[in-house]
Amino acid sequence: MIYTIKSPALLIIGILMLVWGGLNTSGALDGVQSYLQKSAYGNHMTVKAKFDFEARAATEIAAAEGKPAPAVMKMPASSFDAAKADQARIVNMFGGTFLLIGLFTLLWKPKQGDLDYFISVVPGIAFILLIVVVVRWVLDPIFGNLGRAVQDAGILSWNFARIFNLNHIVLGILAGIIAANVFKIPAWAGNGVRTARLGLKTGVILLGTLYSAKELAQLGVLSVVMIGIFVLGSVWLVLIMGKRMQCTNSMTGVLSAGIGVCGVSAAVAAAPVVKATAEEIAYTIGTVLIWGVGCMFLFPTVGHLLEMGPVQFGAWAGTGILNSAQVAGAALAFDPNGIETLKVAEIFNITRVLFLPLIVLWLAAWYMKHEVGAEKINLTQVVISKFPLFVLGFIGMFAMSTMGVFAPADHYQGKYFSSAEVKQDKLLSGKALRALDGELTRLRGAEDAQVLSKFLVEKTVVIESHRVTSEEVYKAFVELIANKKMMTRDQSYILFAVSKMEGLDPGAKGAIDNAKKAAEFDSKVITAYRDWLVWLFGFGLVGLGMQITGKSLKQAGGMPLIIGGTVGTVKAVGSLIVVMLFVKEFI
Amino acid sequence: MSKQNFERGSSLSIFVSDRREDLTALIFAFAIAFGVMLTV
Repeated sequence: MIYTIKSPALLIIGILMLVWGGLNTSGALDGVQSYLQKSAYGNHMTVKAKFDFEARAATEIAAAEGKPAPAVMKMPASSFDAAKADQARIVNMFGGTFLLIGLFTLLWKPKQGDLDYFISVVPGIAFILLIVVVVRWVLDPIFGNLGRAVQDAGILSWNFARIFNLNHIVLGILAGIIAANVFKIPAWAGNGVRTARLGLKTGVILLGTLYSAKELAQLGVLSVVMIGIFVLGSVWLVLIMGKRMQCTNSMTGVLSAGIGVCGVSAAVAAAPVVKATAEEIAYTIGTVLIWGVGCMFLFPTVGHLLEMGPVQFGAWAGTGILNSAQVAGAALAFDPNGIETLKVAEIFNITRVLFLPLIVLWLAAWYMKHEVGAEKINLTQVVISKFPLFVLGFIGMFAMSTMGVFAPADHYQGKYFSSAEVKQDKLLSGKALRALDGELTRLRGAEDAQVLSKFLVEKTVVIESHRVTSEEVYKAFVELIANKKMMTRDQSYILFAVSKMEGLDPGAKGAIDNAKKAAEFDSKVITAYRDWLVWLFGFGLVGLGMQITGKSLKQAGGMPLIIGGTVGTVKAVGSLIVVMLFVKEFI
Repeated sequence: MSKQNFERGSSLSIFVSDRREDLTALIFAFAIAFGVMLTV
C-alpha cells in the first residue's frame, strides 16, 4: 500500500506559516497583534514611552550643554517584541520544514516502504499544528478579549470565556471535533493525525523534568491512596453491577477496566484476558468516550466555581476522569497558562496507569473463577506485557532531572534564587534601607515584638518543619540592610512572609518585594521545557478532538452505558467530596 | 477520524504496538530534553 498522497496541502501550510512569520518580523501585523496581545502591547507602550522620554531628555541635556545630539539609541525589546519574535521563530522553523517536505512529496515518486509511510505522516502533523497555531495565537486571545469586553460593558456580570474555559486547550479540542465531524479529516492528513497520542505520551515523559523530589513524594502518597480507593472501588462496583444486571463476564470485565483504570487503553489491554468481543470493546470505548468528554468540559467549570487550587483540581481530575488524554485536557483547560495543575493531574494519571497491570491480573483471576471453561493464563506474562513503558520514561526523566542533569535541581519551578547574580542597579537604595531600618527598630520594640511573634505563629511561617522565630526575622532584616540584597532563599522567604504583616511600612514592604524580585531569575531551560509541554499537549489534544466522532460516541448504549454512567458518577462525585474535605494546597 | 483504513498501526496510532509508540515517545522526549539543554 502506498500511503503518500500527492497534494499541495503540505506546501501551502508551509507557505502560510512562513508568511505569518515574515509579516510578524516586518511589523506589518502590529495592528492585529496589538489587539491579540493586549497585555504585551501595554508593556510595549510603557517601554516605548520610557525610551522616548529618556531619548528626549538626553537630547535636551546635550543641547543645554552645547554638545551634539546623542546618537540614536535602540529601544529595548518589550514583551510584545519577544512574543512576535517567538511566533516568527516557531512558524519559520515548521513552515520551512513543511515547505521542503511538501515540495519533495510533489516531485517524488513514492515506493512502498518505511520512507513512504513516514513521509505520509507529515501532512497530518502539519494539519494539527496549523490548527494549534491558529487557536493559540488567534482564537484564544479573541475569546479572552471578548469575555473581558462583555463583562466590562455590563452585558454579563461574569467573564463567559473564563467560566466556560474558552482557552486554547478547550478551543483546540473543539476545533478537532469540528474538523473531524463537520468538515471531515482530509485524506492527505488521515495518516498523520494518528500521531496525536504520541505527542501526549512524549509530553507526559517530558513532564518528569518539572517535579521536585519533595513534591513527587507528597503527590505520590496522596495519589496512591486516592487512586487505590477509587480505581479498585470502581472496578469492584462494575463487576458487582455487571453480575446483577446479567451482563456477560467478558462485557463486565472489559467495562470494569475501562471505567476503573484509564479508559480506552485499559479496555484494549484487558480485552484479551476476559476474551471480550470487538463489539464489547466498542461498547466500552463508546461509554468511556461519552462520559469522559462530558467530564473534560464540565470538570474545569465546576473547579472554577468551587475555587479549587491546582492540587485539589489536579487530584480530582486525575481520579475522576477516565481517559489519560481527557485528564490532561481538563487540567490544561482549568489552568492553561500554568503547568502546576497538569503536574498534579498527571501524577494521579500515571499512578492510575501503574494500576493497569494489577487490574488486568485481577480481571484474569476473576474471569477464570467466574467463566466456565476459561483457559489458564500466565499471570507473570500478563503483568510484563501490560506494563506501560512511557511511565518508566517519566520516572527516568524525573530521576535525571533530580540529579541536575538538565538544569540545577532548584530550577525545576522555572524560577531560581541567586544572590550572586543580582545586578548592581538592583541593589536597595538609601531610602529603602532607611525604611527597613525603621521597621527593624519598631519590630524590636516590646509591643510590636509580641505582634510579630503572634503573626509568625498564626501564619505558620515554617522552614523545613522548623517554625521561624522573631530573632531569625531580625537577623534577616539586618543582613538585608547590610548587603542591600537578599543573600539566601530562606532570608527571602522569611522577609516576604513578614511583608504581609498588617501595619508594615509601605516603603519597607516595597524594599522587600524589590529585593526578592532582584534575586529571582527565570530558568531558561525549564521555561523552554514548559513551552515544549504546552505545544506537545496542545498538539495531542487537538488530535484527541479529532477522535471524538459521532460514530464513536454512538457505540455506547444499553447496559454498559447505564453501568458506566452510574459508576463514573459515583467516582467523580465521591472523589470530589474527598478532595474538598481532605486535600489541601501545598504547591 | 476519516474512514481510511491503515495496514500499519490502528485508528489511534501509526505504530503497530503500544510498546513501539511508548519507545518512540521516550526517544522524542529525551531528544527534546537534551536538545533544549544543549541549545538554550
